[in-house]
Amino acid sequence: MSAPVTENVQSGGQGEGGEPSVQAAAAGKGRAWIASGGLLNLVGRNVALFIFLALVILASLFVENFAALDNAEVILKQSAIPAIAVIGMTMVLMTGGIDLSLGYVVGLASIVSGIMANTWFWPAPAVLASILVLGLALGLCNGLITQFMRVPAFIATLGTGYVLYGLAQIVSQGSIINRLPRNFLAIGRTPMFGLPSAVFLALAVAVVFHVLISRTIFGRRLKAFGFGARAAALSGVPAAWINVSVYAFCSTLAALSGLLFTVRVNAAQPNMGGGAFTFEVVTAAIVGGTSLFGGVGSVANSILGVLSIKIIENCINLLGVSYHLYLAVQGAIILLAIILGNLTNRRA
Amino acid sequence: MNIGFAARRGLAVLFPVAAFLALGSRVPHFLDLSNLLNVVRQSSITGVCAVGMTFVIVIKGIDLSLGGLLAFCPMISGVLMLAGINVPASMAAGVLAGTAMGLFNGLMVSKLTVPAFITTLVVGQISQGLALTINGGSSIGAFPDSFVFIGNGAVGGIPLSDLLLLGFLALGFFIQRLTPLGNHIYALGGNETVLRQEGLSAARLQFFVFGFSGFCAAVAGLLLSAQLDTVQPTQGDAYQLDAIAACIIGGVDLAGGRGSVPMAVIGALIIGCLRNVLDLLGIHPFMQNVFIGSIIVVIVYLSGVVHRQSELATRGTL
Repeated sequence: MSAPVTENVQSGGQGEGGEPSVQAAAAGKGRAWIASGGLLNLVGRNVALFIFLALVILASLFVENFAALDNAEVILKQSAIPAIAVIGMTMVLMTGGIDLSLGYVVGLASIVSGIMANTWFWPAPAVLASILVLGLALGLCNGLITQFMRVPAFIATLGTGYVLYGLAQIVSQGSIINRLPRNFLAIGRTPMFGLPSAVFLALAVAVVFHVLISRTIFGRRLKAFGFGARAAALSGVPAAWINVSVYAFCSTLAALSGLLFTVRVNAAQPNMGGGAFTFEVVTAAIVGGTSLFGGVGSVANSILGVLSIKIIENCINLLGVSYHLYLAVQGAIILLAIILGNLTNRRA
Repeated sequence: MNIGFAARRGLAVLFPVAAFLALGSRVPHFLDLSNLLNVVRQSSITGVCAVGMTFVIVIKGIDLSLGGLLAFCPMISGVLMLAGINVPASMAAGVLAGTAMGLFNGLMVSKLTVPAFITTLVVGQISQGLALTINGGSSIGAFPDSFVFIGNGAVGGIPLSDLLLLGFLALGFFIQRLTPLGNHIYALGGNETVLRQEGLSAARLQFFVFGFSGFCAAVAGLLLSAQLDTVQPTQGDAYQLDAIAACIIGGVDLAGGRGSVPMAVIGALIIGCLRNVLDLLGIHPFMQNVFIGSIIVVIVYLSGVVHRQSELATRGTL
């Protein structure tokens, strides 16, 4: 009976006696942690958050009128729609593919929603549902071409992108549809807590997909597929189905963004979105730490990526620099993110 | 099997040619000599781009930066020319800029192992942004006569653009078939392990290939601007798709290791004929893009099918 007690006391005594050495060990560990690139790893694991915070701090310090509630509201409103689109792109990038047709789905969805609402007088819920179905159908085409016709994603979606762009122009007959019905505009413009409903819609979509990717079997299978399609297929992951579904999700969300864009500017136009929007969304996803090689990506980080690039766009506006430069700056940011990601990955 | 494969590949090219000639004979004015020369002139931009793109696709890459470079490089040259700097020096500056952008693509692909479609997409976007920024988004024009002559002049009745295309065809063919460099590039696309075992550096080849593609894009951009006597900051958009389509129609294999420069140039001519016929039939360029976009996807699918069949045939299971 006594032996364990003495052991306890002894061990306790040892612990007390060893406290300084434990501290020293902890300090040594800290130094080792920094030396071994632990700091870099911490940043590496949360690149999106660090970039976002760094941008907020820098912009507040150096850009006049940035740190204002009005301006934060503007950034939120502008981020809502790309935030929806970036979720789909993140999923596609997680499989190691890319969807270059995203921006053109936006344009087609925009003009089609305008025609449905204005020319055919469809009620808003019917328009919303039809646009989602349209997106789903387009996405299934991309997915099926990529998966079953074995066409590389960037070629398949480049091809379908041009097709969709052409279709959007033909459907619109070169005109823009203005003055859309009020019930249609209500989808994204209804004020809620001082913000338009589009922001809350984006939030809801983000929560649903965050759960889908990080908390479900589907999400785990998606990551497994991204790390190695063949290994995943051999382990019983329905690889073909996963690959097709990401394109379906991507185009559906892109179509929803197209509809919300149309609502925001109160005009349906076939040129909406396009290559520039695709690029913005890819940039956001990569700034959000999504790996170009597949397997790694998160909804929350990609949305931080969207906020980051929207902050940069906002600063470019506030500083009165040419908007055209925004395109080039986005390119520079994506390169920086790739190079940083590369460095941190090598350390890890 | 090889004969069957070659025959099928030959058919894949001959069939559209025959189809266009047949279609052409039904479309008034298509087969007029002046129209055909015009088609070649219009195809020269796509053709020059396709020469560079062939090398890139042979090493399993893709160059999506053409669209941006086709505007960025002539924009630099154009601004310099209008500032009074002499024509050859201005053109050299534009070509250097394009080559540098291409080399940067090569750097990203070889040293950082970034997928080609990402880095070239990014570089294209940066070039596009810069092309727009340089002159505030508006076009420039009214260049010196000697520059405009390159795009519109003729020597012995043959347009200079056509001669330039022929020159690039010869250059590409020479590099690809008659130099060790060409063999190494095929090796890189066909089987990288063998290349490494031979002690050759993949990185240097990637540098060269992407640099050369940037060079071709710069020249094509200058040629386009010389033809139009303007630099429009988004003028490259239309050629990105066509250059890829030209290579794919010419049988350059996206899976790497297969493809020849002359066939890619023929592909460019086919695209040129196609657009010309559709123009003569009064079909809108947007509808033409729908058509060409679909063709790309279908041909890549078919070439994949041919691949799998020949693979199975070599394994003896077919």
